Amino acid sequence: MPQESGPVDSSPVRAAFTRQLDSGPLTVGPVTGTGFSKGLELDNGLGKFAHYSSIIQKLDVFESIVQGPEGKLCLALLNDKVVIGYLAGWRPSENDRWRALEDLMFEMGAIEVSRNYRGQGIGDLLFEAMMADEFFEEKIAYMNGFSWHWDLEGTGLTMPEYRRMMVNFVKRKGFKELYTNEPNVAMRDENFFAARIGSKVSEEDIKKFKNLRFGIKP
Amino acid sequence: MLENYPKEIVLKGGIPIHIRPAEKSDERKLIEFFASIPAHERWFLREDVGDPVAMGQWLAKLDYVKMLPLVAVLDSDGSIIANIRLHRRQSNCVRHISHLRIMVHPAFRGLRLGNWMIVDAMKLAMDMGVEKLVAEFIAGIEEPGINAAYKLDFQEQARLKDYVKDPKGKYRDLVIMVKNIHRDWSDF
Repeated sequence: MPQESGPVDSSPVRAAFTRQLDSGPLTVGPVTGTGFSKGLELDNGLGKFAHYSSIIQKLDVFESIVQGPEGKLCLALLNDKVVIGYLAGWRPSENDRWRALEDLMFEMGAIEVSRNYRGQGIGDLLFEAMMADEFFEEKIAYMNGFSWHWDLEGTGLTMPEYRRMMVNFVKRKGFKELYTNEPNVAMRDENFFAARIGSKVSEEDIKKFKNLRFGIKP
Repeated sequence: MLENYPKEIVLKGGIPIHIRPAEKSDERKLIEFFASIPAHERWFLREDVGDPVAMGQWLAKLDYVKMLPLVAVLDSDGSIIANIRLHRRQSNCVRHISHLRIMVHPAFRGLRLGNWMIVDAMKLAMDMGVEKLVAEFIAGIEEPGINAAYKLDFQEQARLKDYVKDPKGKYRDLVIMVKNIHRDWSDF
């Protein structure tokens, strides 16, 4: 079981969870401010996709995410130094369909755990650390499951199996698979769209979101 | 898998509906739905869905493992406006195949409802481990269905010439369309 702990002075993350792995102590939590990436390293098991070039190639990208509109980032750090996983989210971009609901929507834009550390619940910890923020109770957080981002080679799963794994994973985090005619989601059968509606989101906004999923703007 | 139902859809024109598995308590609504399907279309169904007794027997024997019927339900009054069935035989040699059969209420055609029903069936089939979906259409009668299937990546795999008879005794081709569920990137 993960242990909750308070801030760890030596770590660039505000530790939400700590755990001892074989290769050293793991700290998982959100980062804020700037300059946090100084001295960090990316684990060599990150960014290995046969069909997709990860947006996270350099640590600078993490800084840009946090400085962007409503940018949020949780890191999984080994020995307070090596990034072995991350979950990043942000306000959807201006030309995105979901901007029609102004600031209501929040995209869980990128999640990855290094190939070297999978199967140890690190993705769960990243999600839990991110979602612990009260901010999400006033938001509709969503996630696009695009199959071209999936590491089929690394996991050895088929597309339907990977899809099932991802849908079940986000379901455990309070997200629900929802249908939408958003063209990128609709592009491939195995793609999915999932969302978690915060407890303080009004019924009116929920209805607008439902319509917008099918292209009907408020 | 079924715990993810109902699934919300908003049709063209802003009509909210939901898709869910059919239940035994849907008997009256299903009878009303099939009564709305023109007789010349019902003619081609394998069961007499217009007969309340047959419908009651069909629902009483409902076994989701062998045949999973999904219905589209209008949020406003709860009426059934479409039905799709996934038939799956349990023999080892064919259990990776599911046969689809879809009917849409005439008043709700052209709203992409059939499209959504097939999309939902495809996603469900993926979760069930199905690798191949098969749909049959009557040439000259079910062209909208054939066109929708093409758009969803079904391919015509066989055409049985003059295979079925229409109500006037004219022979019609049976078009068999197949969609493979992609398992990895080498399938493309």
